[in-house]
Formats: sequence, structure tokens, C-alpha cells
Amino acid sequence: MPSAAAIRVQIESTLAQRVPAALTLKIKQTPEVFASGMAEVDAMLGGGIPRGTITEVSGPSSTGRTSFALCTLASITQLGNACAWVDVSDALSPETAAASGVELRRLLWLRMSAERRTKLTDKPWSRLEQALKATDLLLQTGGFAAVVLDMSDVLPQHTQRIPLGTWYRFRLAAEHARTALVFLTQSPCASSCATLSLRCEPAVVVPFSSQGETPLFERQQYQFARERNRNEGSPFLQRKPAQRVSWPAETLWSRVR
Amino acid sequence: MVAGAVMYAVLHPSNFFAQAAAHQRPELRKQPFVVLDGEPPAEMVFAANHAARSQGVEIGMTRLQAEAFSKVVTLRRVIEHEHTAHATLHHVACMFSPRIESVEERPGTYALDIHGMDLLYGNATELANKLRRSVMTAGFLANIAVAENFHAAVSLACGRTGVSVVPSGCEAHAIGQLPVTALHLAPEHEATFAAWGIRTCAELAALAETDLITRLGQAGKKLHSLARGAWPHLMFPIEPNFEDGLVEQMELDFPVEELERLLFLLSRMTTALLERVRGKARAIAALRVVLRLDGGAQHERTVRPALPLQDTATLLKLIQLDLETHPPSAGIVGLELHAQSAAPYRAQHGLFLPQAPEPGHLEVMLARMRKLLGEQRVGSPELTDDHRPNAFRMVPFEPPPPRRNERQSFSTPVALRVSRPPHMVGVALANHAPVRVFWDGAAYVVRDAAGPVRVSGQWWSEANWCREEWDVRLENGTVERLCRIAFDPRSHCWYLQGTYD
Repeated sequence: MPSAAAIRVQIESTLAQRVPAALTLKIKQTPEVFASGMAEVDAMLGGGIPRGTITEVSGPSSTGRTSFALCTLASITQLGNACAWVDVSDALSPETAAASGVELRRLLWLRMSAERRTKLTDKPWSRLEQALKATDLLLQTGGFAAVVLDMSDVLPQHTQRIPLGTWYRFRLAAEHARTALVFLTQSPCASSCATLSLRCEPAVVVPFSSQGETPLFERQQYQFARERNRNEGSPFLQRKPAQRVSWPAETLWSRVR
Repeated sequence: MVAGAVMYAVLHPSNFFAQAAAHQRPELRKQPFVVLDGEPPAEMVFAANHAARSQGVEIGMTRLQAEAFSKVVTLRRVIEHEHTAHATLHHVACMFSPRIESVEERPGTYALDIHGMDLLYGNATELANKLRRSVMTAGFLANIAVAENFHAAVSLACGRTGVSVVPSGCEAHAIGQLPVTALHLAPEHEATFAAWGIRTCAELAALAETDLITRLGQAGKKLHSLARGAWPHLMFPIEPNFEDGLVEQMELDFPVEELERLLFLLSRMTTALLERVRGKARAIAALRVVLRLDGGAQHERTVRPALPLQDTATLLKLIQLDLETHPPSAGIVGLELHAQSAAPYRAQHGLFLPQAPEPGHLEVMLARMRKLLGEQRVGSPELTDDHRPNAFRMVPFEPPPPRRNERQSFSTPVALRVSRPPHMVGVALANHAPVRVFWDGAAYVVRDAAGPVRVSGQWWSEANWCREEWDVRLENGTVERLCRIAFDPRSHCWYLQGTYD
């Protein structure tokens, strides 16, 4: 009686032309990740945001999307990598970025046109179209460890109109360039193209005034919920991480207090 | 003649400065004229032609003395005319030999290495005659001397009119009859030889060398060798400046409006420049594109990649993107490309270092971005030393070489999303604190407010600014926002500075 191993070899050799290694378990490689620098969030994400894929961070205003993205970029630039920030609304604060620890010389900041009410005759594209084109160029050039496409202030009805083919193209380009592509949006738009999808939710409200002192905005509590993480199917992960995590952020002036 | 020996032909226009002045005004050739130099009124006669000298004019006379001669025309010295004369003579000399040296102590004199030119111009005598005729055609009268010894040829050209050809080994005999002043003596040596009664080179050569060295030092040895036509010379040919030669020009038959049609020409010109630059193992650091426009105007752009490039495609793309971003105002009738070379960029990348964008691709990508977004919207932010919150300037994106830094442990700061330009909002106050904010057609209730923080700056100048900032937590049904609003006391308006996110 032939052993199970012999039968398996026989089946595989028969099917080799059509399905290579049909019965051999394909070992999934551990994805390369960039740590965000926040222990709680990294633990939930399995180490950080994955490289060569799309990560989507969505949620309403004041829920910590920009803080998280800047903190992640700080970690990546401090490793010596170049990063890019595609700013659809021209809203990035270089002061906050520097305070987060981002090495500004390694950050390419692309500011879309701030003209909101006047239509530019020589630039027919809207800011969103410019941003998509700029992201495409960045991914084609390669060499950037992370690219953040900041669409935080773009209404969901506008981002939903972006063809799905764009995200597929971005996913392939990011994989080819080994770039961590991060989208900051109000509602998820990349659907299945995003390997990691995070939803930012309003967390516990921290009042400004505490212990009878003069009111001062000192800290804020944010909360992430993991909606999708394709990398967690890895057999190396023994324990399923938490679905939700809460993390604090504090204002610049509270550091010196 | 010894194989490999150099044969010099020296071209000397006698009275060069007068000839240079007459070259610009040919009608003066048959009239006596002097060239004056110096600051008025202390002008002196700097040069005079033969006709003027024969009337008694001497070099060094004052203007008044020169004007005392009735028929003598006085001219001002023009340096540009002398440069033109130099260029003309150099051009003529270039037609006869690729190796030319300018004899610095005798203006307008050029020494040509004519070794091996006999196949083109015949023997030395024929070449010297052809050279003299060419110089005359160009408007100058020059003496030509051909000899194996450089100094002998120079002395002969300066001292003897017409064409002189010295056979090999006969230099001492050929210059023997020349006065010792033909050796370009120092004034003290000239006086010494006059006192000794030495008038010709042959008389100087006949002196014992050791005795001459005893009396004149090492200069005596040199003068003795010069008089014998045996002082060696190392030729330093004039080499055209490599950087000046990196120019490509093209004229068009009719004005061209579309840039795409010029790309073919620009590609050819860039390739030609790159070939020349590569020949010297260098790369192109900057390309200046000069477009001559219909109507006489010029459009000039400079493409300066971050690193010197040796790649035509990249350079061409950079030129194209730059010209598309800054298009010329009229049709193009002429093209000029001026290149600046530099040592090519070489870097040894580490295997385990973080990845970085490839410099050539990065440069093209940044040029594309500038075209897409605008000049000031692409780059890295740099914080400026200013009190104004969020003061920064854009600098070109030039990431430093990849290296790992130690992670500094910062607490996560709350990021501010800046509103550029600030939005005007309506604010209702109670007890001098905001209680309601009206923004984009929606009303928000202020749940928490911290402030006011009064900030101001530049009070000493026109650009002074001041405002009162508030951090507010706004709520509108289900929506909650953390914002920074500011009151401007000058305009009495409230603005949204940004949103915390």
C-alpha cells in the first residue's frame, strides 16, 4: 500500500502542468511592516503598517487620522527613508510634523492648489485629480518608503466617484515599488484594494479644564477599529490581536508643562 | 631635421598696435596717425605708424606735442579693436596649424608648430609664403620666420622683414647679424652690452660663456644660448576653454510655435553636447536654453539637475518639462544650448541601507510635479525662525543620504490641520467667550473653550500681526470637532485657523 506521501507526490506530478505544487502548503511570507511608534497601535496591527500595500485610515474629523499618519512617517523617516505627503487640501502643518519627529528634509510635500473658489484656467484638473496623478508619479518613480494621500477634507461623495481601477493600479504600483501607501479619508473608498483598513472613531471626551484649573486643551484620546487586515491570516500569528485600540495624544504645549 | 623635432613658424605683425587701429579704419593706412593712451589730459602717444614716425613723432610724446604735427591724425586707443585684431590673427594661424602658442612679450605674435604640415602646405618656404599672404588678406602686414628653435624664430620674425626660413642647425648664423636688442633684453643688460661694444647677436655668441656667466650671472647663460639660437623652449599651445566650447546653436527657417517639434532638434543638440562632455569623463551640471523668438526677443531658461547627468533622455525630459511650464511668448526662430560640465556623480550604495529615489528619476518626477502643481507647491517644508505659528518656507526636495537615526521618544502630538487660507466664521460670544460658531452654513455649539491666547509679532514693521486664539470643542448633533479659531482685532473678524485631527 503506497504511503500518503507517495500518493501526494503522484498527484502533484500529474497536475504539475496545470497546478504547480497542488497539495503543498504555500508558506506565506511575513509581511514587512513599518512600526508607527505607538505600542498599543502596533500591537493591534501586528507590528505596524504593511509595506508594499495600501493602508486606509478613515473616519470623521478630529479622530486622529493625521496624528497617526505623522507619527508613522516620523518612524519611517528616522530609519533613513524618503517619504511623500500628497496634500489634497494643503492642510499639513510643518510645525506639527516636526514635533511628531518627522525629518522634514526626507519629506516631499506636494501641495495641491489652494484656490478653492476660483477656477484656474491653466490647470484644468481638480485638486483630487492632481493628487491622484501626483501619487501615480510618485509610485512610478519608486524609492519612497511611504506615500500618504491625504484626502481627509474631501467629501465621501467625491472619493466614492474615483474609479476602482485607480486603486487597483495603485495597489500594483505600490507592491512593485515596495511603498507603504496610506490613504486618509472620511469614509473607506479603496474597498478590497486596501490590505489594512482602519476606522477612526470618536473616543472618550477629555474635558479642557480639569481640577478647577484654567481651561487648557492638553490631550485627546483617539480610538481605532480594525476593519480589515489581510496579513493577519499568517500562520505565524499565534494570538488574534484586539479589534479596537485606544491611544492618547497630547498638545505641544503640554510637553513643557 | 631630427625625427620628432618641432618646426616653428613665427608670425609677427610689426607695430601691432598701429596696425590694429588701422585695421578698423583702412582709410588711415596712407596717412600719418598716432594712437593716444591714458587719462585726459595726460594722454601720451602709445603707437604711431611709419608715416607718422618719419615726420618725427615718437612714442611717449604728449597729446599736445603730437598735435603740433599738422597732418598727423590722432586716435584714441580702443582695447576692443586690439582684441579683434588678436582674434583675426589667431584665426589665420589656426588655418595652418592646430598647435599655436601666443608669444606674450610681443603682442600679436604667434608661434605655430608646423611639423608635419608639409603634406598640406608644401615645404617650409611655401608654407611661410602662404601664411604671409593669408595674413595680408586679413588686413595685416606680418613678418614670418621659420626655424627649429623657437627663440631664434621669434627674434628673426621681429628683426627681419618678410619671410625668413632657417635651415636646420643654422640658427646661430641666421640671427648673427641681428642687433642684440632683438633678443628682448632687460634694460640693464642692454646698457651693459652697449658699454661693452656688443651690437649683434654674433658678437654676443662669440663671447666665452663662462666669462659671461661670471659677469651677468645665470642671465648671462640664457642670453648666450639665445644669441647662438640654442635656448630650448617647451611649447604651451593655446587650448580653447572646454566650458566655452559647450555650445550648440541652430537657426530655423520659419518660426515654430509647438515645443514638441523642437524636441527632435533639442535631442540632437543635447546628444552632441553630451558626447563632448563624456569625452572628458564629465557630466552635464546645467543646461541653459536660449530661444530666439520671432520679433527679436529672447527666452532663456536654465535646467539644473540636482546631480550632474550623463543621460540624454533625462536631460531632454527636464528641458521639455521646464519649457512647458514656462513657455515662450512667440514663435521660435533660433535655438542655443549652453552646457556647464561637472564631475559625474558617483556613490557607493550600501546593501543594507534604506532605499532612496534614484536621482535621475527623482529629478524628472520633481519637474513633472512642478509642472502639474506649480513651483512653490513641490518640495520639503523648512521651519523658519519666526514667532508666527506655522511659519515655514518651501525648499527643494534633496533628501540626505540614507542613514539610520536613533528613534527619539516623543509622545504623540495632536496634529493640527491648517486651514489655508483661514476660513471666516461667525462666532456668538457670552462673557467674552465663544458659545456658538457658524461655519459653512452649519451652527456648532461650543462644548469646551480654552483661551484667549494673545499672539502678535512684527510690531516694528508694516507686516505686524496680532490675534486672539481659542481652542474650542464644537458639536453639531452627532458631529464633533476640535478646532482652533482666532479673532483678528484689526478686521474684527473670526477665522478658523485649523482643525485638530
